[in-house]
Amino acid sequence: MGDLNDIKRKRGIGNLDSPKMPFDYYSREYGTVPRDTKRAPFQWVSEVAYKNVHRIVTRGYDTTELMEEGYGVVDILFIDYQARIPLIEEEQMLNYVMILALEDGLSAPAALSRIVARTKTFLTQAAAASILAFGHAYGAYSAFGNRLENYLKRAEVQKLSLAQAAALLMKESANEPESLGVSGLMLNDPAAKRTIARAEKLGVAGKYIAFMKEIVKTAQSQSEEAVDIDMLGATGAVMMDLGFSPEATWAILAVTRALAAGAHYIEEIERYPYMHLGEALTPREDYDGPEDRPVPPLQDRAKVAKSGVCKSVDEWMENRLERMKLVGSGHAVVEEIEDPSKKSGIKKVGKL
Amino acid sequence: MDRGPVFPRKTAISYKTEEKTVMRGYNLSDLAEEGYSFCDALFVLYQGRIPTESEEKMLKYEMGVFLEHSMSPSAVAAIGVSAGRPNLPCAIAAAVSTFGGVHGPGAAHGYMLNKYLERAHRDGKTPEEMAKVLVDEYMDAEKPVMGMGQPQHIDSDPRAEPIHVKQEELALEGVYLRFQRALEKYFHERRKREGRSRVGVNVVGSGNTALMEIGFSPMAAWCLGSVCRGWSCAAHALFNMKKGRAWGASRNEPMVQMIDLSMIKYVGPEDRIVPKQEERQEYARKQKEEGEYKQWAI
Repeated sequence: MGDLNDIKRKRGIGNLDSPKMPFDYYSREYGTVPRDTKRAPFQWVSEVAYKNVHRIVTRGYDTTELMEEGYGVVDILFIDYQARIPLIEEEQMLNYVMILALEDGLSAPAALSRIVARTKTFLTQAAAASILAFGHAYGAYSAFGNRLENYLKRAEVQKLSLAQAAALLMKESANEPESLGVSGLMLNDPAAKRTIARAEKLGVAGKYIAFMKEIVKTAQSQSEEAVDIDMLGATGAVMMDLGFSPEATWAILAVTRALAAGAHYIEEIERYPYMHLGEALTPREDYDGPEDRPVPPLQDRAKVAKSGVCKSVDEWMENRLERMKLVGSGHAVVEEIEDPSKKSGIKKVGKL
Repeated sequence: MDRGPVFPRKTAISYKTEEKTVMRGYNLSDLAEEGYSFCDALFVLYQGRIPTESEEKMLKYEMGVFLEHSMSPSAVAAIGVSAGRPNLPCAIAAAVSTFGGVHGPGAAHGYMLNKYLERAHRDGKTPEEMAKVLVDEYMDAEKPVMGMGQPQHIDSDPRAEPIHVKQEELALEGVYLRFQRALEKYFHERRKREGRSRVGVNVVGSGNTALMEIGFSPMAAWCLGSVCRGWSCAAHALFNMKKGRAWGASRNEPMVQMIDLSMIKYVGPEDRIVPKQEERQEYARKQKEEGEYKQWAI
């Protein structure tokens, strides 16, 4: 491909030969990268499951054999996520939690499923959309569970009592009320407290439920409004006492809810017509953006256009505050996104 | 706090107040307290009824055997999406989205059974007679018979026949199993007659038969299968997110990674020069006239 590069060098391509470029663009190779024979070839590495022509095996158990031996779908969740057969009581408890997680009325997952359904899609697309609704507020199992784990670890290291750890947690987590597991949402609905009681009755309650109870006590003593354990707190703590990680809990309960999102999809297409492109209107009275204004003639662009480039930090800050006023611009949203990649690869496999 | 519905709708599925969540008339908390299983709750959701013990066992078996399938398109999708480290639900959603209407536990098999059973009813034929009609019509038209064959389990899907047998053991044999069994019989006979290899029933053929026998619609069966696979795909995504390396391309891994550069095999047009803007119109006109590009258009 030397010739092609020579031709390109003579022709020049935009800024690619700029001396500011830290490379000689026209000496770059063409073609794909040859197979790497010094390393083992790619394989789908899994600790979870494998299959061959005749078997599907998860964590060492043949799945057909599991079913033939009387295990069921809920048992498989323990096997897939924890590589173990659950106690009967644990299986009963997970059944209980999943029933509660199955249906939640017209909440975000059902609404999303229905909105997607109205555009005439596959059912699976709508069910998948409902899973996407399990964000860090509605489906705060990851934040909730990791927080419990972190503070329990701190309690152990710093020799804190559960009550002290709960107080510390409440003090340091005040800005994330959506993932505390304590709120005013279940004051009149006994389902959350019944869940905890059932876990205790089945003998599966452990340190997470104990800690959650302390968090509730602390929250109740600090809050001016009535609060109590909510469904996040109850099901989250129970799932962790059942041995599921915060992320496994998140996944299991989001998928559980999606099974009902399918029913919402079906009902939506059974009862309501499909929605067409351009059909939905947004009433003027719901709009509170800039007033209607004429589009300036293109030749007047230079007169009306204002550069967004800020030359100084002060100017930038002034602009930033102004930009924050435009709802939907994103300037008012401030968050930090952490890289969840904590591990450095699977070194134990693949060596030639 | 506004606790109104996110999406105002009349619904026959459930309602939720400050006191309780009620699905098809049953308080969910009471359902759990009474010791019903999650699979029982799925009957309530999709059929508005408490199932018999055998029906509950059948659903538990079918979903359990379908849940994990190691590396299928769904798990591969979940792992692929997880490589960029988005929120976990994105990987699960991608996995569930891989199930179209035909493949995986798609609704197509169920619709096919219902369509031909309706014909049997209309034409006064037995399920066996109509199964033969179905097989002949599909095979004459060179259309794949839904529920038959599996690309990996070429020597009989390990889940499929056991589901049939379990359905029989649980005494849940009805018109669907009778029809499906007849369909398989004629399918095998015809392929044998034509000198073709044996293609066994797959998990959809047997699983969907069982699910429809116990009262689920093709659409509900599609949901139960596709979505329950999301659980195992989430486990595969989590394994990769927690123990694997992001991106799946690192050269520091002892094994070549999923999207290592060397995994790319390119078979498209040769490397070529980008025309300058002043050359563009003439270049584009010529390219269009020559039509060589059409072989690449997709």
